[in-house]
Amino acid sequence: MAARIICVGNRQVQGDDFGPRVYDCLAALPVPMDVDIVDGGLAGLGLLPYLEDGRRVFFVDAVAGFTAPGRIVLLAADEVARQCTSGFDHAAGLPYLLKVMPAVLDSPPPTVTVIGHEGAACAQAVRTAARLALHLATQSADDACRA
Amino acid sequence: MRTRIIRDIPFNRVEGDLAVSIEYGDGQITDAWSAGTLYRGFENLMKGRGALDGLVMTPRICGICSTTHLSAAARALDAIAGLTPPDNAVRMRNVALMTEHVQSDVRQTVLMYMADFAHPAHAAQPLYEEALRRYAPAAGASAIDVIRETKRVLETIAVLGGQWPHSSFMVPGGVSFVPSQANLLQCLQIVGAYRAWYERRVLGCSIERWREVDNRAALDAWLHETSAQHDSETGFLLRFGRAAGLDAIGAGHNAFLSYGSLDLPQETSVVSRTRQLVAAGVARGTELTAFEAARITEDVSHAWYSDQDALHPAVGETRPYASGQEGRAYSWIKAPRYDAQAVETGPLAEAVIDGRPLFVDIVNAGQTSALARQLARLTRPATLLPVMETWLRELIANHGAPIIVGNGQVPDGEGAGLVQAARGALGHWVRVENQRITRYQIITPSAWNGSPRDATGQRGAWEEALLGTPVADPDNPIEAGHIIRSFDPCLVCAVHTVHRR
Repeated sequence: MAARIICVGNRQVQGDDFGPRVYDCLAALPVPMDVDIVDGGLAGLGLLPYLEDGRRVFFVDAVAGFTAPGRIVLLAADEVARQCTSGFDHAAGLPYLLKVMPAVLDSPPPTVTVIGHEGAACAQAVRTAARLALHLATQSADDACRA
Repeated sequence: MRTRIIRDIPFNRVEGDLAVSIEYGDGQITDAWSAGTLYRGFENLMKGRGALDGLVMTPRICGICSTTHLSAAARALDAIAGLTPPDNAVRMRNVALMTEHVQSDVRQTVLMYMADFAHPAHAAQPLYEEALRRYAPAAGASAIDVIRETKRVLETIAVLGGQWPHSSFMVPGGVSFVPSQANLLQCLQIVGAYRAWYERRVLGCSIERWREVDNRAALDAWLHETSAQHDSETGFLLRFGRAAGLDAIGAGHNAFLSYGSLDLPQETSVVSRTRQLVAAGVARGTELTAFEAARITEDVSHAWYSDQDALHPAVGETRPYASGQEGRAYSWIKAPRYDAQAVETGPLAEAVIDGRPLFVDIVNAGQTSALARQLARLTRPATLLPVMETWLRELIANHGAPIIVGNGQVPDGEGAGLVQAARGALGHWVRVENQRITRYQIITPSAWNGSPRDATGQRGAWEEALLGTPVADPDNPIEAGHIIRSFDPCLVCAVHTVHRR
């Protein structure tokens, strides 16, 4: 089943650059035809069209407060959406996007998993996240859910 | 008079890197200080990079107006190379930039500005229940409708730019590729659909009808003319805004700046009184003078930068220095000034300088306000959408015409790229030596509007706009939030880490 890996964050801000670094890593790897890789940057709500073609979606982002520093955590869409405690503003990110997603898409919402990294990321963590994202994206949907 | 200084006033929604302090006395704001709390330093990041790197790097300054930064970067390189892009490149650049504007204008108004109408502080307002139904964060009917509709129009940039996000299709002398006629037709359909929705839900009437509204009396008549207009987002903005007194606060310096934007192609059916769709100019009230870029300076007397005279951005430096300032400095934002005067920039400034009758009438009547500023923002697409359609039709009709001049390279030299971003004047000043960037200075709209004081003590635009504002509850000065948000402060869109709450 086709999947999409969307790496988000700011490559110019240390600590928020995890997603872009994983994107760079993925871009250098052989990727199956049915896996789409997107450098999502700071696009926020501008990423909504990437959620409308039925693909499973894996966001890669920096996280804070979910696990021990240096560790990678898998989060379901609703858990990330619950972190949205206010309205839209210039700092709105994945929590806001995932909170409004079910109401604003023109198609049924995709299965979304967030691959988050807590704290400063070393090169090994970036490579690990890239491989994990690819592994999950190439699994069957059922296997991905169990993972 | 007893006064009290309230530091870092509690905006009801976070604008993380903006801290506003107010002095409160006798029921109103008696002074204000606005601080940018994050040193970003993009200018220094650019030094030593390749001449073309601004096209890739600077769009990442902002998650909302990346196309605007791309446009400013490309125009600076055009200027250095002495190139004038061919008509089709001008059209493509313009339509992409306008797409960002028409999306941002509606999103900012409904999702940020009108979201404050649903704040519990307004619970006593007769329109509060309706505001809640419309604008409750991430759930209100209008909020959801706006997100759904505005996501589609962005596909125009994806088509014109070849990718989204991070399109870098604007290059020195033009654009890097041209979409097929079928894809341009798709863009025309997307813009047409957006226009239809904008007319139906945002205006409640045709754009042509809205543009007939040319003074305050006509605005009142328009508001009560039909139920569609009365119930539209524009109608609700006016009704709630007036009931909440937003038409009586937030005047500010009453001085306006527009760099001008959206060059007209040499051959086009679009008519404008200048060679740009959005005119350049400076206005005191509605008294216009010609804009001269040489009159811009950046004052750092109250910012955390090493001391220097107020300098033009082409020669200014960005040297962070937070020590030894003895309490005078309070912001990482410099203080841009035009002719040594503080001015505001944004859609209201554009409207006044363009001579749009409704807004000229409002400013002439001494009614510059937070509500007037927001009305200019929400209704700006009415001036842009028809022209976008025209330029897309001209692109289709002239498909195959040149899209670039020059060889895509940039010689050594210096130049400036000045455009109007969604929230006002944006400038990139660039110097290239030995094919490397040796200087890159950026002045954003939020620097103009959110600047600290200058050496003469002159406040920045929204600092000044806060003065005299009546505040019902000094511990929750929501009135200040309405004023500052009418400028659409943009200081925090660069970091989006997911935090557990």
